[in-house]
Amino acid sequence: MLELRNVTKRFRGITAVDNVSFIARAGEITGYLGPNGSGKSTTMKMTTSLIEMTSGAILFDGDPIQRDLMAYKQRMGYVPEEPHLYSHLTGLEYLVMVGQLRGLPAKRTAERIDGLLRLLVLHGDRHVPISSYSKGMRQKVLLIAALLHNPDLLLLDEPFSGLDVTTGLVLRSLIQDLAARGKVFLFSSHELETVERVCSRVVILHRGRIVADDSIDRLRVLMALPTLESIFSQLAVEQDTAAISRQIVDLVVA
Amino acid sequence: MTKVQFRILYREFLFRMVDLEALSAHAQGDASTLLGQFVALLLIFSLWVLLPIAFAAGGDARLSPPTRLIDGWPAQNILIATNMLVVGLFAVASWDSSFPNRRDVLVLSPLPVRARTLFLAKVAASATALSLAVIAPNGLPSLAWTLATSTANRGLLDLIFSSGIYRSFAAYWLTMIAAGGFIFGSLLCVQGLAAQFLPRRQFLRASGFLQLAAFCLLVTIYFSQPSLANPAALVAAQHQRVLAWLPSYWFLGMLQQLNGSMHPAVAPLARRAWLALAIVGSGTAATYALSYLRMLRKIVEEPDIVPGSRRRGSWLPIFGTAFETAIAQFSLRSLFRSRQHRLILAFYLGIAFAITALFLKTPVAQRQIISKLPGVWRQVSAPMLTSSIVLMIAWVVGTRIVFSMPVELRANWIFRIIPTGGAPACLEARRKAFIVMAVAPAWIIWAAIFVRIWPWKPAIGHLLILGLLGLSLAELCLRGVQKIPFACSYLPGRSSFHITFWMSILLLVMLIDYVASFEQRALESVPQFLLIPAILLPAGLVVRWQNTNTAQSQGDAVCFEAEPPPAVMTLGLGRDGALTLDS
Repeated sequence: MLELRNVTKRFRGITAVDNVSFIARAGEITGYLGPNGSGKSTTMKMTTSLIEMTSGAILFDGDPIQRDLMAYKQRMGYVPEEPHLYSHLTGLEYLVMVGQLRGLPAKRTAERIDGLLRLLVLHGDRHVPISSYSKGMRQKVLLIAALLHNPDLLLLDEPFSGLDVTTGLVLRSLIQDLAARGKVFLFSSHELETVERVCSRVVILHRGRIVADDSIDRLRVLMALPTLESIFSQLAVEQDTAAISRQIVDLVVA
Repeated sequence: MTKVQFRILYREFLFRMVDLEALSAHAQGDASTLLGQFVALLLIFSLWVLLPIAFAAGGDARLSPPTRLIDGWPAQNILIATNMLVVGLFAVASWDSSFPNRRDVLVLSPLPVRARTLFLAKVAASATALSLAVIAPNGLPSLAWTLATSTANRGLLDLIFSSGIYRSFAAYWLTMIAAGGFIFGSLLCVQGLAAQFLPRRQFLRASGFLQLAAFCLLVTIYFSQPSLANPAALVAAQHQRVLAWLPSYWFLGMLQQLNGSMHPAVAPLARRAWLALAIVGSGTAATYALSYLRMLRKIVEEPDIVPGSRRRGSWLPIFGTAFETAIAQFSLRSLFRSRQHRLILAFYLGIAFAITALFLKTPVAQRQIISKLPGVWRQVSAPMLTSSIVLMIAWVVGTRIVFSMPVELRANWIFRIIPTGGAPACLEARRKAFIVMAVAPAWIIWAAIFVRIWPWKPAIGHLLILGLLGLSLAELCLRGVQKIPFACSYLPGRSSFHITFWMSILLLVMLIDYVASFEQRALESVPQFLLIPAILLPAGLVVRWQNTNTAQSQGDAVCFEAEPPPAVMTLGLGRDGALTLDS
């Protein structure tokens, strides 16, 4: 179980994440939603320990992650928002390096990498430098790197970005299958349709604060709205989107 | 519209000479800081090296005017050759910025920017950078040379109203600009021809090798060219073939012609300079313009990637634990595949090669090893010992420098989210990487040479000392905060290290020469020989012990972002036990 307790992050006086608290349980897929700049990626980075929080606590299975950061990192897999990879390495070299850095047994890791590359249709390009990979291929490398050590916690920041339809469908099923095996998922995305199909509950963030934290079904009933999109619009979209669209047309056409 | 576009593109291309990706976040993308440092480095070089040579280039004032002019030829040739080397190295360093890259094309193509504007902005930026590389080191030497050639038997007023002084000044600058332009244009021409005749993918692959080859050629020619700057040597039939390949002598001829001091011996050289300048100028303009226009289309049509193969990737051995292996293999692959890093290391090795070449050319070395006696190479000699020590030092220091420069800084998140074992594991991994990439190759090269040419006893003895020296130096380079090689940001301002390095290199070489002479004597006497490892081994072990202790005290802290020194320095008064800052 992943728990964030009153987590706050300030950058030079600007509060990016303000007193955020929620729980992501094992077996559940928790969607983490919010408009651009609402603090989603900052929360993800704090949860991966890439950046430090200003105050609050992040607990995994009841223990603050800072207590034994190394042990926590061993159990965590992360797909970042931007596919930054060492493009001078080949896909295979990168994944082998990740396995080595994680101290995984060489033979078993090689078998696992080989299998995952085949399943994600990347095996034929494994000796090609990442510099020549498309965005979707890079995303697949990130996914394999995140799954390689069979983590208990998966932090996915826009994992569907750049993936083709088939791989997207595979990933959707994969997330559900792994959650069914007791993994903890925190899943951030702007694709509300996907979130609605994949996640059992959602946390909606607006201006660094949580404005909703419940199952999608319960939110539908509570807010008397038919879709996650309408719930999101109600909670996190301040502007009149149709009016903005008209203003843009006026500006461009004028 | 076009003027505004030109101005914006010109500025963008000029600052592209610096790789912003490598900068620390603290530098806030300030490329002008690095350009400023580059100019400062050139000015210091000019002040310490070129200025004394420029005074000497005026010739001995006690000699009669014609003899005096000839007396200054060797120094004038050094000035021209050094100017060509500086410009050449600059052209090599800014190799990739001479032509548009894929990002330029993809960003600018959809915009209403004409190819001509793009081309002119690029030419203007390159010309500005070239001017910077010529003007910064030659400013003071030009004045010194003009005064040195014009002051004999003249008062100040005579000097001011003499047209000769202005002619000398103009001749100096025209020659330096022409020589710099020649070398810069030649390198551009080579790139342009390669871009014309090779498919884009092959060009990208060849470009890296051409860059390294150009660097090696420049350094080799500069340091190994013979001294022929006297009339007899210049007209000698046996030297004509060599002179045909030494452009600095051609421009020496041009300088004499422009200065109005043309000697019959240098007249053919001056003609060759003008001819070469015309060929390179027209060739560069043609290939640059053609390749520019054709490359824009090629870049869009062909992917801008390093050609990859679908065959099995490069195999590398295991280097200890999984983490150490990961870091060592990552470091090796980064160095082999990053042109920028290879070039920086090659620069240090080139300097070592140059010092070695100079040592082997000294009269003492000539007497010791370049003797006609058969088998003299098989005798232990101080210049050979010095050369091996210099190469080892340059390799280790160069490796330290390239380790600190990142490859794709934003990709280092993978090292941050993975449990790495903290500073102690990082130290051990870096140590392995240093040994594999610096100490071992230098040692193996010299082992192959010494075991083959020297009797086995002194060979083994010196290799033992060389190995200990390399390991101790590697330990020295591991001091401080622990950083994963090629994965941490580089902070501008640390280049004071480079300046310190170059300022102290002369002292260092003298010290190494002294140590090598001592070692040469020690290799003949066991007690004296044992003294050297008896000093080196404990010194290395002490530094190693200190490094291990420091890393253990740092715990999990591996540094990924270089921090600038604080604006306000604390006095550390809290450490005396009387006052605690926390209280």
